[in-house]
Amino acid sequence: MAQKQPDPPRPTDAELEILTVLWSRGRSTVRDVHDAIALRKPTQYTTVLKTLQIMAEKGLVRRDEEQRAHIYEASRPREWTQSQLAADLLQRAFSGSAKSLLLGALSAHKVSREELAELRKFLEEYEKGTR
Amino acid sequence: MRLLEACIHTPLAKALGWSLAHFLWEGILIALALAVLLFLCGPGPARLRYALCCLAMLAMPVAFGLTLAVTLRAPHAAAVVAWPPRAPESSGEAQQGGAASPRPFTERVREALPWLVPFWMAGVLVFYLRSLGSWMAVQRLRRRGVCAASAAWQERLQRLRLRLQLSQGVVLLESCLVDVPVAIGFLRPAILMPVGLLMGLSTDQVESILIHELAHIRRRDYLVNLLQKFVECVLFYHPAVWWVSGVVRAERENCCDDVVVKLNGDARGYAAALATLEKNRWPAGEPAMAATGGSLMKRIHRLIQQPERPRTAAAPIFAVGLLVVSLGVAVGGWQGKAAQPLLNGRGSVSARPVPAATVSAEIPPARNLPVAPATASRPHTDRSASPLAPAQTEHLWGGPGVPLLAQAQAQEPVRKGGPLRAQLATPYQKWLTEDVAYIITDEERSAFKNLQTDPEREHFIEQFWLRRDPTPGTLENEFKQEHYRRIAYSNEHFASKIPGWKTDRGRIYITYGPPDEIESHPSGGKYERPAAEGGGTTSTFPFEQWRYRFIEGVGNNIIIEFVDPTMTGEYRMTMDPSEKDALRFVQPPSLPTAAKAGATVKVLGNGAALLAVPLAGYGDHKVNVLFRITSMTGRPVADFEDTVPGPVPSYTRFVSLPAGSYRFTVTLKDVTTGAVAKDDVSFEVK
Repeated sequence: MAQKQPDPPRPTDAELEILTVLWSRGRSTVRDVHDAIALRKPTQYTTVLKTLQIMAEKGLVRRDEEQRAHIYEASRPREWTQSQLAADLLQRAFSGSAKSLLLGALSAHKVSREELAELRKFLEEYEKGTR
Repeated sequence: MRLLEACIHTPLAKALGWSLAHFLWEGILIALALAVLLFLCGPGPARLRYALCCLAMLAMPVAFGLTLAVTLRAPHAAAVVAWPPRAPESSGEAQQGGAASPRPFTERVREALPWLVPFWMAGVLVFYLRSLGSWMAVQRLRRRGVCAASAAWQERLQRLRLRLQLSQGVVLLESCLVDVPVAIGFLRPAILMPVGLLMGLSTDQVESILIHELAHIRRRDYLVNLLQKFVECVLFYHPAVWWVSGVVRAERENCCDDVVVKLNGDARGYAAALATLEKNRWPAGEPAMAATGGSLMKRIHRLIQQPERPRTAAAPIFAVGLLVVSLGVAVGGWQGKAAQPLLNGRGSVSARPVPAATVSAEIPPARNLPVAPATASRPHTDRSASPLAPAQTEHLWGGPGVPLLAQAQAQEPVRKGGPLRAQLATPYQKWLTEDVAYIITDEERSAFKNLQTDPEREHFIEQFWLRRDPTPGTLENEFKQEHYRRIAYSNEHFASKIPGWKTDRGRIYITYGPPDEIESHPSGGKYERPAAEGGGTTSTFPFEQWRYRFIEGVGNNIIIEFVDPTMTGEYRMTMDPSEKDALRFVQPPSLPTAAKAGATVKVLGNGAALLAVPLAGYGDHKVNVLFRITSMTGRPVADFEDTVPGPVPSYTRFVSLPAGSYRFTVTLKDVTTGAVAKDDVSFEVK
């Protein structure tokens, strides 16, 4: 891999969508990305292609040119981009309270590591008890 | 300032001021009533507890509104409500918590109360703006950084939706901005899954989470939550409101948990899924955060129905007594001194426990089970009775832990040949333990064991095949046909003294289908030892090598070797060290585990793992082999001990493990020389 490149800029909404596809599906061809996006809204293949090319220039994605169909992959992990996006004002100001509006399978707060360990232990012990 | 003052002196402001002050005790009373009622319910059905909480949540604004209306409607009272200064003992003191102080104090209180109003209004405004902002943030979450989940998952979601009898359409999106699965919206609901989670968890785990979210949607929790927010905003200043609101949220999750358990019948699996989900939230290397109340722990305890501290029968009685006494005191105190009109407002409050109490009498029907009265200690008494009549308690249990406990019960009698064997008799037992033994998931198995009637089982079997039908809608089920063909093939070709489907080759054949290539050495013979193994030639037992170009969930170019060390035709799966190079491609780099002195673990799909250690170096010495599998916390999971009369190329063992991280420890003892060798490897079963 090349040396460490400068950090890419914050992705736009359209770019973020493509990144999401790449994180979700892993390395993909433009066709794959387009298919995934078209599931949700009608999009031109060329639009996706162009956006991906721009993103490659920006350093948001990496392009593997070894095969005939170019394969793209996100250059940064999701967590990194997520922290970049935290700079978004609305997101930053309200993500905390927004969580109370979301109905998640887990509460809005993370469980501490100790608790997590305790939890696993409990489950394991429980299992031992029933076996 | 003047304007403000003018506002303050309007009757509305006065009434508001008094309502705000009155709500202080009203809120406390409602919360107290709720606490007592919840205590009486004990770990009763979550739906009942949830209903009680919602009632309390509703009672709060109603109480506030009524107080306001009453104080407004009687403008005189507005002054009088405020305890005429002439009254010898004004109730104002009692409510303000002030001691009996000279008149000027109450006077001052009366003067000061309306001044609360602007502060309250400012607070409400702040909370509303905040809610609005978060609502907008949520709306954006739906549009930004999302992509539709793959068609297969969408389809699965629709199937689950139908099972839940939810007519509303639901969209499944993957989002890079959420870190836990969430449901959003009530007109066009959507479920957002964190990117990668669909891949990261097992299908059953994802399904159970999806059911949880779908349950939220079906119950219109999003809307209820918005209303709840509204109440929180108006009465933000009262801690009791926040407490009740928190309880509503917790019970809501419990309700959805119950739906999941009811639908897929595996409480433990679901609890484990939640724990895994929580674990996945931790990106590696992030520092630990402070504990946050452990709500997840509570939920998991509840799911698994760990018996809590046994409650004495006296406790509920004491609680009822407390409730009655406190209500009596409140009412008595009120009637003693309060202005007449306000009584109506309070009436609505004290009326609360009455309907609630009638609801609590209806618990058993709600769980549609013919159970004895739902007392707080019901689950405990049942539990204590369970060893005596396991089959019976299975019917009796009404709590959310039913399927799990029933499963625990079910396993035991099966092992001992107890009453359950008779229940799961013949064709169904055979279907479970023979026909689909290798392809049924743990969740499905436990669900099947919980079924009570034959029509249910028939239906389950039908659904089981339907779920796997590659071409749903056609009459043919190619999967089922192929599966039975594989069983027949195995029985025909791999049978020795045990039936073909039970052999290692049968298992692999049935699970993964015909290999792409078979290299067979039915008479063993000379075998060129690779240089890595010391070179030279050696003779071997009969062996077969099967090559699969690709196995889903396992990897590419898989070579499985079967050896027949007993020369009886019963080939056993092994992992010959000479195959290491080929096996390097077996798994993605995260799965395999490095071998130090030769111990290797190959994790196959379906929770199966192949443990191996090379013994070629021992020649014809007798070797004592001890395999031990422990969890990462050191708890022993399985032990295998064996003595191998050499020479053999390797010793292997095939184990089936639930998902989790394990450590595999090998101890080899050369019986001839007494030399001991050890090795350990950690591995993870997905």
